[in-house]
Amino acid sequence: MASPAIALAFLPLLLTLIIRYRYYFVLLYRAVLIRWVRDCLSGISREERAYQYILTHATPGDPQSILDTFDQWCSKVEFISNIGPKKGKILDRLLQDHCPLTVLELGTHCGYSTVRMARSLPIGARIYSVEMDERNAAVAEKIIRLAGFDDDMVELMVRPSDEVIPRLREDFGVERLDLVFMDHWKRCYLPDLQLLEGSGLLGEGSLIVADNVIFPGAPNFLRHARRSGLYEVRVHRATLEYIRGIRDGMAELTFLGIK
Amino acid sequence: MVIFSRFTSSWKHLRYFSIEVDEGNDNEFNLYYVGVEDHSEGEKEQQVKQEGKRRRERNGKISGRTASEKRSAVTKNSDKREKKHDKHQKTARERRGSKTHEKRRKRNNADEEVVEEECSKEKNVKNERTKTSKLEDEKEQGGKKNKKKSVKTEDVDRNHGKMKPRDCNDVPTKEKTKNRKKLETISEPESKSDSESDLESRDDKAVGVLSSLTPEELEMLKEAMEEKKKLMATLRGKPWPMKKKLIILRESQEFLEKYEGALGKGKGRKLYAYKVVMMKKWMKFQRDFENFKTACIPWEMKIKEIESHFGSSVASYFIFLRWMYGINMILFGLTFGLVMVPEALMGKPYGTLPRKTVPREEEASAMNFAVLWDFGGYAKYSVLFYGYYNNQRAIGWLKFRMPLSYFLVGVGTVAYSYMVVIRTMARNANEEGGGDDTIFNFSWKAFTSWDYLIGNPETADNKFASITTSIKEAIVEDQESRKDDNIHLTRFLRVLANFLVLCCLAGSGYLIYFVVRRSQKFALVGLEKYGWWERNEVNMVMSLLGMFCPMLFDVISTLENYHPRIALQWQLGRIFALFLGNLYTFIIALMDAIQLKRAEEDIVKTNMTIWQANLYNGTVPDNSTAPPITVHPADVPRGPCWETMVGQEFVRLIISDTMTTYITLLIGDFFRAVLVRFLNNCWCWDLEYGFPSYSEFDVSGNVLGLIFNQGMIWMGAFYAPCLPALNLFRLHVSMYLQCWAVMCCNVPQERVFKASGSNNFYMAMLLVILFLSTLPAIYTIVSIPPSFDCGPFSGKSRMFDVIQETLETDFPAWFGMVFSYASNPGLVLPFLLLLVLALYYLQSTSKTYKRVNMELKKKLQVQNEENKKKNKLAALKAASELEQATNAVGKHSNTDSDLGMNENDNSLNETQQHRQKGQKSRYVHPSQGQHNKDPHPISSTHTTTRPPASRSRAVPGHLPGNPQQPQRNSHSNRR
Repeated sequence: MASPAIALAFLPLLLTLIIRYRYYFVLLYRAVLIRWVRDCLSGISREERAYQYILTHATPGDPQSILDTFDQWCSKVEFISNIGPKKGKILDRLLQDHCPLTVLELGTHCGYSTVRMARSLPIGARIYSVEMDERNAAVAEKIIRLAGFDDDMVELMVRPSDEVIPRLREDFGVERLDLVFMDHWKRCYLPDLQLLEGSGLLGEGSLIVADNVIFPGAPNFLRHARRSGLYEVRVHRATLEYIRGIRDGMAELTFLGIK
Repeated sequence: MVIFSRFTSSWKHLRYFSIEVDEGNDNEFNLYYVGVEDHSEGEKEQQVKQEGKRRRERNGKISGRTASEKRSAVTKNSDKREKKHDKHQKTARERRGSKTHEKRRKRNNADEEVVEEECSKEKNVKNERTKTSKLEDEKEQGGKKNKKKSVKTEDVDRNHGKMKPRDCNDVPTKEKTKNRKKLETISEPESKSDSESDLESRDDKAVGVLSSLTPEELEMLKEAMEEKKKLMATLRGKPWPMKKKLIILRESQEFLEKYEGALGKGKGRKLYAYKVVMMKKWMKFQRDFENFKTACIPWEMKIKEIESHFGSSVASYFIFLRWMYGINMILFGLTFGLVMVPEALMGKPYGTLPRKTVPREEEASAMNFAVLWDFGGYAKYSVLFYGYYNNQRAIGWLKFRMPLSYFLVGVGTVAYSYMVVIRTMARNANEEGGGDDTIFNFSWKAFTSWDYLIGNPETADNKFASITTSIKEAIVEDQESRKDDNIHLTRFLRVLANFLVLCCLAGSGYLIYFVVRRSQKFALVGLEKYGWWERNEVNMVMSLLGMFCPMLFDVISTLENYHPRIALQWQLGRIFALFLGNLYTFIIALMDAIQLKRAEEDIVKTNMTIWQANLYNGTVPDNSTAPPITVHPADVPRGPCWETMVGQEFVRLIISDTMTTYITLLIGDFFRAVLVRFLNNCWCWDLEYGFPSYSEFDVSGNVLGLIFNQGMIWMGAFYAPCLPALNLFRLHVSMYLQCWAVMCCNVPQERVFKASGSNNFYMAMLLVILFLSTLPAIYTIVSIPPSFDCGPFSGKSRMFDVIQETLETDFPAWFGMVFSYASNPGLVLPFLLLLVLALYYLQSTSKTYKRVNMELKKKLQVQNEENKKKNKLAALKAASELEQATNAVGKHSNTDSDLGMNENDNSLNETQQHRQKGQKSRYVHPSQGQHNKDPHPISSTHTTTRPPASRSRAVPGHLPGNPQQPQRNSHSNRR
């Protein structure tokens, strides 16, 4: 039987772990525990709660107000994995620099990033937004409409991404995607990227932006992007949305064209 | 005479082309190329037309009007030998298939492109020249152009490529210009006339040509070789790009190789060849020997490999480990050779004395498996520990003074360690330049931060990132040094962090103290009643605390917001304090244990007399003359022997420490790496990049661990002679294990710190530890009397009495007298005083030297700046003069003499004018055939055709920076 003194000697290790990974504990608490408790208490999903909050606090038709309210809710009340204000600014800058006309968004979730992109797109541009979960899609649609974007601007598809991509050309007559924004399941980044490569929708200079490539992380995706030689890869380093101290990054891939 | 000079020119060409060829092609087919190249070369400027035609002919496209006509016309002037060569060449050429030629040409073109790239940045002038040559070409080609477009473009390409290297060779520096000028002046006029034939003579081997050369030409060749040699010697100091230097070096080397052997004749040549072969063999041997020497340095290749992957900081740890290994080797040699082996060979064997026998009550467990790590049982009663040694003055037939040797080895190991550490420190101290290098902080960062030993892309990325961050930090620091906002918060946080660290230290100290007291309680009751955990509690707790507390310190130190370098120093200091605290707690506990043992010893002593009395009284009541009763040594009561106990404690500590290190390595590094690597495929976040990730190699922790380990060795080696051997084994294993672990499961550090700077820091710590570890050892030796029945000093009141004893018995009486006089305080005190004075004097002189050095440094800086200013002024002045001169030239008529006068003023201007002139004149006189027919090629005609070459002849003065020029000219003119 180990003596208490030896057990006490492990105290520094415990303290170290707690202090070093405190942000992860905070994340665990906010993203899992609070959500679970609130789900039990309120009986409706997290996304619905977010929508209700936005409905009561934001100005309809004003995308900025909706985004601000969203940020407020995510940082003060509960946690939803959006792109967040900091990485959102990087995204805004990319959009301003490139002025894409056809945008494919994989993973709408609550529509935060859709609203964010739609407000800074040029006139005539179109966003194809893909969401797998129906309930999330319903919330996202409501929020997008609330922000004042119509069907012409944002096309929401409730289907898995790997079904949508091969049919994009036939169903919607898309010839070329100027920008692809990925924020769905991190494991799907790589297969979807390969699907996109195979579909021929990417042209020279097409931009692929992938969120959360460092935390939770998509190592295979990054490895492929770096090694295939098809892309110019840049990783914008930032922190995880709404939580300080967890490093995260947004990958910016510029398609160089198939040679 | 004309022929002669032509000869010379041909040879000059030859030399030149050899360079060209070597530049273009890589040695293979060298001779083969020479033949081809000199055609294209010879024609490249003057006879582009002919070349093009010939190539076409070679390709089999034109057969009728061949170049042979022309060639025959050209070779009119040349002698028979050349003709022969020509024919030979021609036939050879025709024999070759067009296919091979095309291939070759492709290769040539490729090579030329390379050359072109190299030279493209050099000057624009050559482009102009090439243009003119192109123009010529086009003119001559005329209508055929369209027909043979492809061929022609190739030709042009060829010319283009060929032209450049030549030009770029002569442009960049004066020296080079000089060489090239010389070549041009002599070779070019003639080469115009009969370049083809001359060059074809080149087709032969160089030796063949040389054999027919006159002594004067040989002289020139020698001269050229001398020049090459000189160039090679001074190449390092030339302000050229490295690429060019390499090219020129290669050229020169090959030139020398080609002609040096050829210069000798007959026997001399053979001798020369022999010499060359021997030289090459010797050089190869030397290289192999160097490799062998490197291979002889233990683990050199391993460390180099690690260095290339992890940078010099990690490698510094391994170098330190190797150094430590060397030290321990010597310590081990001393103890093993002078203490353990003599005792094992010549001392009384096991079982003869009570101290050399396992006592009866321990016999049952003396061969247990636990002996391997507890070092009890038979291990305890062996040469490995102090208690086994006998106090017999001299042992064996050698009369080996065992106690004396034991004492002197104990002192000698420590003295040697002091010496080595201090010497290393002093050597390292020389490397520190001194002075404040912070003046050029950013320059230092920008130009000197790269670690050139890194050979791994990932590490290079990390290093790149760390350099960028360090520059960023430096900028931020620089900005913050001007404004310090919120200093109070920072101060508060720093105080708080230190408070936390102190709490942590105190806590760990108390825990160790608590554990030690508990273990004493156990010891009093008897350790046999407790399990393994209780028995090893102290060591376990010490190892665990030593492992985990640094992590906590690291986390706490993020509060302080220090610069990484300062943070590292704090961290090292804290870990140092922790280890030291642990070690001293351990020692204090040991002291307590020693006191306990000594009390026990007194009891045993009294019991002993009673026991002896009982023995004698009980068994042999009356007869005192009877032989003494033989009691088995295992049954004899004995004292606790605190020295062996101390030695055993240290051995156990070392073993548990080693085990902890290895287990941490295995779990913390290896299993973690395995988990991260293979679990990453089925995990919901990125394990490699995110939470657990791979571990970094903790340089500071490892170095400190090593240092403290060594401290324990120094402390315990006196009471356990086996400690150096154990440590040697440990270091050996950890060298391999850690090398493997680093390469297999660690990732390069993100924060890389300079290794060389911290090296002496480690040494200083080692010195401190050495001092601190010798303190308790000396204390025990001096102040505690040795056990009465074990060890080499048993029966003496103090351990150092052995010296006195030796002096009295083994040395003549007068020596003892001298020694006693010498140790008289009246002599010792003045001596000490003198020592202190000498120390003070040396220290102050070294200080003065340092100051003088600093001043010199400053002076040098100031001088540098002044020189810069001066140079600037001079440059400005020269520029203005140049302007004036050009103006003057513009006003005056363009007579050669005027130009010649200006030449002396500024070479740059002059060369430019040469170029312009040359192009113009060539443009005016495109056909060179006229000059060929000219029976008396005097300098004036050349002046009109090729100003750059001829000007220097016509002009009375010599080229700037080339004093030999006029003599040489006269020389060639005379011919």
